[in-house]
Amino acid sequence: MTLVGAGLLLVSCAAGLALLMAMAPSARTRGFVSGALTCLVGLGGVLAGSAALLGSTWSATATHLLPLSQGELTVDRLSGLFVFLVGAVALATGVYSMGYPQAPRHVEGMVQPAHGTTSRTAQAALPLFAAAMVLVPTAGNVTTFLVLWELMALVSLALVLTEHRSRPEVGQAGIWYAAMTHAGLVAILLALVILSTEAGSESFAEIRDTAPALSSGTQSLVFVLSFVGFGSKAGLVPLHVWLPRAHPEAPSYVSALMSAAMVNLGLYGVLRVGFDLLGGGPRWWWLLVLGVGALSALYGVLQAMAATDLKRLLAYSTTENLGLIFVGVGAAGTFAATGQRTLAGLLMLAAVLHTVNHAAFKTLLFMGAGAVLRSTHLRDLDAMGGLARRMPFTTAFVGIGALAASGLPPGNGFVSEWLLLQGLIHSLPVSGTPDVAVAIVMPLAVGAVALTAGLGVATFVKAFGVGFLARPRSAEAAAAAEVPGTMRVGMAAAAVACGLLALAPLAPVRALESVLGVMPSIGDRRPVQGAVELRLSGITGSMSPLLIALGLAGGAVLATVVVRGLGSGRPRRTALVWGCGGTRLSPRMQYTATAYAEPLTRVFDDVLRPEHDVDVTHYQESRYLVESVRYRQRVSDRLETRLYPPLLAAANRWGQMARRLQDGSVHRYLAYGLVGLLLVLMALGVTA
Amino acid sequence: MAWPVAGVVLQVFVVVAGAPVLIALMRQVRARLEGRVGAGLSQPWRDLRKQLAKEPMAPDGSTVLFTTAPVVVLSSALLIAATAPFVSTTSPLDGMADLYAVVALLLVGSTALALAGLDTGSAFGGMGSSRTLTVAALAEPTLLVAGFALSVRVGSSNLASLVEHAQRAPSTIFSPATLLAAVALWIVVVAETGRLPVDNPATHLELTMIHEATILEYAGRDLAVVELGSAIRLVILLGLWGNLFLPWGVATTSTPGLLALGAIVFAAKVAVLGSVLAASEVLMAKWRLFRVPELLAGSFLFGVLAVSSSFFLA
Amino acid sequence: MSSALYVQLLYLVCGGLLLSAVLMLWRRQLSAIIGLLTVQGVLLAGLAALLGTRDGGVELYAVAVGVLLLKAGVLPAVLRRVLADSGAVRETQPLVNVPASLLAAALLTLLAYAVSRPLVDLDPSPTTHAVPVGMVMVLLGFFVLVTRRRALSQVAGFLLLDNGIAATAFLVTAGVPLVVELAVSMDLLLVVLVLQVLTARLQATFGVTDIDELRELRD
Repeated sequence: MTLVGAGLLLVSCAAGLALLMAMAPSARTRGFVSGALTCLVGLGGVLAGSAALLGSTWSATATHLLPLSQGELTVDRLSGLFVFLVGAVALATGVYSMGYPQAPRHVEGMVQPAHGTTSRTAQAALPLFAAAMVLVPTAGNVTTFLVLWELMALVSLALVLTEHRSRPEVGQAGIWYAAMTHAGLVAILLALVILSTEAGSESFAEIRDTAPALSSGTQSLVFVLSFVGFGSKAGLVPLHVWLPRAHPEAPSYVSALMSAAMVNLGLYGVLRVGFDLLGGGPRWWWLLVLGVGALSALYGVLQAMAATDLKRLLAYSTTENLGLIFVGVGAAGTFAATGQRTLAGLLMLAAVLHTVNHAAFKTLLFMGAGAVLRSTHLRDLDAMGGLARRMPFTTAFVGIGALAASGLPPGNGFVSEWLLLQGLIHSLPVSGTPDVAVAIVMPLAVGAVALTAGLGVATFVKAFGVGFLARPRSAEAAAAAEVPGTMRVGMAAAAVACGLLALAPLAPVRALESVLGVMPSIGDRRPVQGAVELRLSGITGSMSPLLIALGLAGGAVLATVVVRGLGSGRPRRTALVWGCGGTRLSPRMQYTATAYAEPLTRVFDDVLRPEHDVDVTHYQESRYLVESVRYRQRVSDRLETRLYPPLLAAANRWGQMARRLQDGSVHRYLAYGLVGLLLVLMALGVTA
Repeated sequence: MAWPVAGVVLQVFVVVAGAPVLIALMRQVRARLEGRVGAGLSQPWRDLRKQLAKEPMAPDGSTVLFTTAPVVVLSSALLIAATAPFVSTTSPLDGMADLYAVVALLLVGSTALALAGLDTGSAFGGMGSSRTLTVAALAEPTLLVAGFALSVRVGSSNLASLVEHAQRAPSTIFSPATLLAAVALWIVVVAETGRLPVDNPATHLELTMIHEATILEYAGRDLAVVELGSAIRLVILLGLWGNLFLPWGVATTSTPGLLALGAIVFAAKVAVLGSVLAASEVLMAKWRLFRVPELLAGSFLFGVLAVSSSFFLA
Repeated sequence: MSSALYVQLLYLVCGGLLLSAVLMLWRRQLSAIIGLLTVQGVLLAGLAALLGTRDGGVELYAVAVGVLLLKAGVLPAVLRRVLADSGAVRETQPLVNVPASLLAAALLTLLAYAVSRPLVDLDPSPTTHAVPVGMVMVLLGFFVLVTRRRALSQVAGFLLLDNGIAATAFLVTAGVPLVVELAVSMDLLLVVLVLQVLTARLQATFGVTDIDELRELRD
C-alpha cells in the first residue's frame, strides 16, 4: 500500500477508535485519548498529503458503502495539499486540546466558569471532525463528496455547541452556524447535481472529461452556485456572518480547526470545481471572484480593526485573509482565461502559499487566544493587559503569530503578500495599451490589498499590544497564570511552522508549484526560483526573506554593541510613568482597544457605523458634579443587520402563511400524502 | 573587485553620518526663515552625545519590547540604507532592494515604535501609537499604488531597475504618470516622517503629538537610538524620492570615481529636498488629525491617476 | 414443483391478499381487522416461500419465516393488547362512509392496474402479472390510513400499506435483501410500539382513541 493509502487508513482507524473511546469512563482519560486520536488523524493527513504532493496518486472505490452510488476516493496533488494542511493543523490542535479542559473553580472569591468539555459527544467528535476534514479533499465522486461534507458540517456543529451548558449565547451561535452551513450545502448540492446530471456521470474523472462539452450557461450556473456555497464556507462576504458568531463561542481548539482548516476546504471546492472540473472558464467568473475577495478582505479587516473581543477579531481576520487568497485566485483565473500563464501561475502560487501561511498563524493565534481565555476568563481586550509577565510563553507565541498575521517582514505573511503584489503589478504590459477590464480592476485590487495590509498591521498591534503588554487593566488579567505543558507544546509546534515558512519558504514553494499542474489552464509552472533569494521567473522581481531577517537581526546586534560601547554604561532605571507631573497613572488609564481603534473607526465611519452610549452618573447631592462616566461603543456587523433581517422576515411571513395548511387534523395531513402519491402515479401513467 | 562592497559601506556611512546633519540643516532653514539664529549644523550630534551619556529609563510595568524597539527601528533603517540604490545601482544587495520590501521594512520600524508606545502603559504612548498606525495604514495604499505606477513601464519593482530606467529615459520623468506619482509620494514622505502638516516635530503639547508622544518615555541611550533611527528614516525617504524622480548622479558602475560622485550628489539632493521641505513647513500649520485622512485619500487618488495615465496616456 | 401448480398457488395467494385488503376496508369491527392482518401475514409468508421454491436459495425461506413471525405473530399480538386496553370494539363512523369507500377502492384498483402496466411489460411472466395486487394493497392501505378515525384502524392501514410494499417487492424482484427487510421490519415494530403508547395516552386524556381529538392541541 502506498504512503497515501497508509496515511488515509490511519485517519479512518483513528476516527473509528474515537467512537469506541467515548465509552471510557474517566473524563480525563477521554480528554487525553481524544487529543491523541486527533494527533493520529493529523499525522495520517500529513503523511498522506506530503506523499501526494511529492507525486504519488492514489484512488480507491468502495461499492457497497453508500446507497445509490459507490464511495470513491481519489488523491491528486491538489487534494494532497489540503489533506496535508488539515493534517498539520489537526496535529497541533490535538496536542493543545489535551490540556484544555478546565472545570469550574472558585479562586479568591471569584467564580470561574468551565472551559472545554468533559462530555462524551464533544470529545468523540473532535477526532471525527478532523478525520472528516482530512477526507473531504480525497472524495472522487459527487456522492462521496457531499456525504463527507455534510458529516463535517454536522460534527462541527456538535463541537461548536460544546460549552452550551455554561453560556446561553452558544445556542444562538449554533443556530446561525447550522442554518448558514446548510444553506451553503444546498447551493453546493444544486451545483454538483446539475453538473453530474449534465455530464452524465458523477465520478469526478468522468465529469472532467465531459465538462467542456457542456453549454456555457450550464457551466456558469454551476460555477456561480458552487462559488456561493464554497464561498460561504470560506467566509466571504456577505455570507460570512456565521464566522464571527461561531468562532468566539466554540472552544479555542475547535475555533483553530475551523478557522485554519475548514475554511480552506471552501477554497478547495472553488479550485476543484472552477479550475479542475470545469477547466478554467471565461474571464468574468474570475473577475467576480476577485471582486468578492477584495470586498471580503476590506470588510473583514475593518471589522477586525474595530473589534474588541479577541476571538471575534481573529474570526474577522480569517475573512480578511481568505479575501486576499481569493483575490489571488481570481486574478490567476483572469490571466489563465486570457492565456497569460506565467502571471496566472505566480498568482495561484501566491494564493496557495498564503493559504498555508494563514493556516499556520491562525492556528497559533487561536491557540493563544484560548490560552488567554483559559487563564483569565476574558475575551475582551479592553480588560486584558500585562500578560507578558504572567504568561511569557503564550505572549511570545502570540507575538510570533501577530507578526505573521500582520504581513510584516520577517513574518511568513509577508512572503505570500509580496508574491501576490508582484503578480498584480505585473499584470499591465510594459508597452501598448492593456485590456480595459484589467486596467481598471488591477489598480483597485492593489489599492485594496494595500489598505488591507496597512489596517491589518494596526489590528494586530492593537490585539497584541493592548492584550499582552504594559499593565493589567482588570483583576482577572492580573491573576493570570501560564497554561499547562501540552497547550504550550501545541503552540510551539505552530510557531515553529510559522518560523520555517518565514525564513525558508522555498521548501513549501516547491511542493506548492507541483499543485499548479493539476489546473489545466495554468499548467506546470515554476514561478519562483532561487533558494535564499526568491527570484520570479518570466518576469523581473526578487526578494529575500532570509536575508531580511538576518539583516534585521545583524543590524540589531551591531546597533546594540555600538551603542553600549559608546554609551555611558549606566544601568536602566525603572520609574513611574510620566503623568504630567501630578497624577499617578492607574492601569485603567491606559489606552484600551476601543480607544486604539477610534481614529480609524472614525475614518471608516460609513462602513462600520459604531453606536455610542454615554452614561453619566452624577452625585446625589449635586447635579453639577460627576461621579462616573461610562462610555460604550458597539460595532455590529452592518452587513448582517442590513441584509439578513429582511430575508429572515420574508421567510417568517412565508412560514406564517404556510400555517394555514396546518390545522391540527391528522387526517388532513395523511390526505396530503395520499393525494400527492395519487398525483404522481397518474402523472407516471400518463407520461409512461 | 570589492568596489561594490565599498559602495555599500560608503552609502551606509553617508546615510548614518549625514542624518543628524540633515536634521540640523532643516532646523537651520526653519530658524533663518523665522528670523532666528538657529543652533548650528552640529547640534544634533551634540544632542546624541548628551543622550548617550545619560541614564536610560523604563516605565514601571513595561516589558523587554520597550527596550528593544529602538534597536529594531535603527536596524530596519540601517538595512534599508544598505540595500537601497542611493549611491549606486550596482550594489551586491540589489536583489533585496525591492520597493515593496523597503516599504514593508519602513512599516516594521513604525510598528516597533507603536508597540513600544503601548508598552509604556501611559495614555500618551497609546495615543501616539494609535495615531502613528492610523497614518501608516492610510498611507500604505498610496505607497503601493504609486509604486505600481512607477513599475508598470519598467516591468519590475526592483528599485535599482527603476532608477536605471529613469536615468536612461529622462523623458519618462516628465510624463503625467511620473509627475502624479511624485506628488503622491511627496505627500506620503511628509506623512511617514512626521513633518507638518501631519505632525509637528517641534511641538511640546502632548495632545498634538504623534511621533513625540510615542517616544515620550524614552531617555538616555534609548532616546539617542530612536532619534538617530528617525533621522535615518527621513534621509531614506527623501533619498528614495530624490533618486526615483531626479535620478541623475547615481553611479551605474562601481568605480571609485563614480561612487564618490554618487555619494556627493546624493548628499546634495537630500540636502536640497530637506531644505525645500523645511521651507514649506514654515508656511503651514499643523492640521487636525481628522483632516489627515483627507490628505492621504487625495494622495491615493493621485496614485490611481498615475497608474491609469501610465497606460491610457502613454 | 411444476410450473402449473406454482402459477395456481401464486394466483391463489395473491387473490387471498387482495380479498383480505378489500375486507379490511369493509369490516368495521376492530378485532376482525386484526384477524385479517394475521391472515395477510400468513399469506405473505406463503408468497415468500413459494418464490423460494421457484428460485432456490435459503434467503427467501429465511425471509418467509421472519415475515411469519413478525406480521402474523408479533404485530397482531401487540395490536390485540392495545385493543384490550382501550376497550373499544368497533370503528365509529369513518370519515368516508362504506359505500363511498368501496367505490374509491374500485377506482384505486383501476389506477393500480394502469400504473403497473409498464412494469409488467418489462418482463411478462406469471410472477410479474401479479404485481398490480401489491399496488392495490398499497393504495388501499394508504386510503384506510387517511379515512379512519381510530388510532388502531390507522395502524392497521399502515400495516396494510407495508404489506403491499412487501408483496410488490417480492413479486418484482423476488425478494428484497435481508438487510432491507430487517430494517423495514424494525421500523414497523417501532411504529406500532409508538402507536401503542399514543393510543394509551389518548385513552387516558380524552377517554376515546379518536385521532381527531388531537386537533385540540393546535394553537
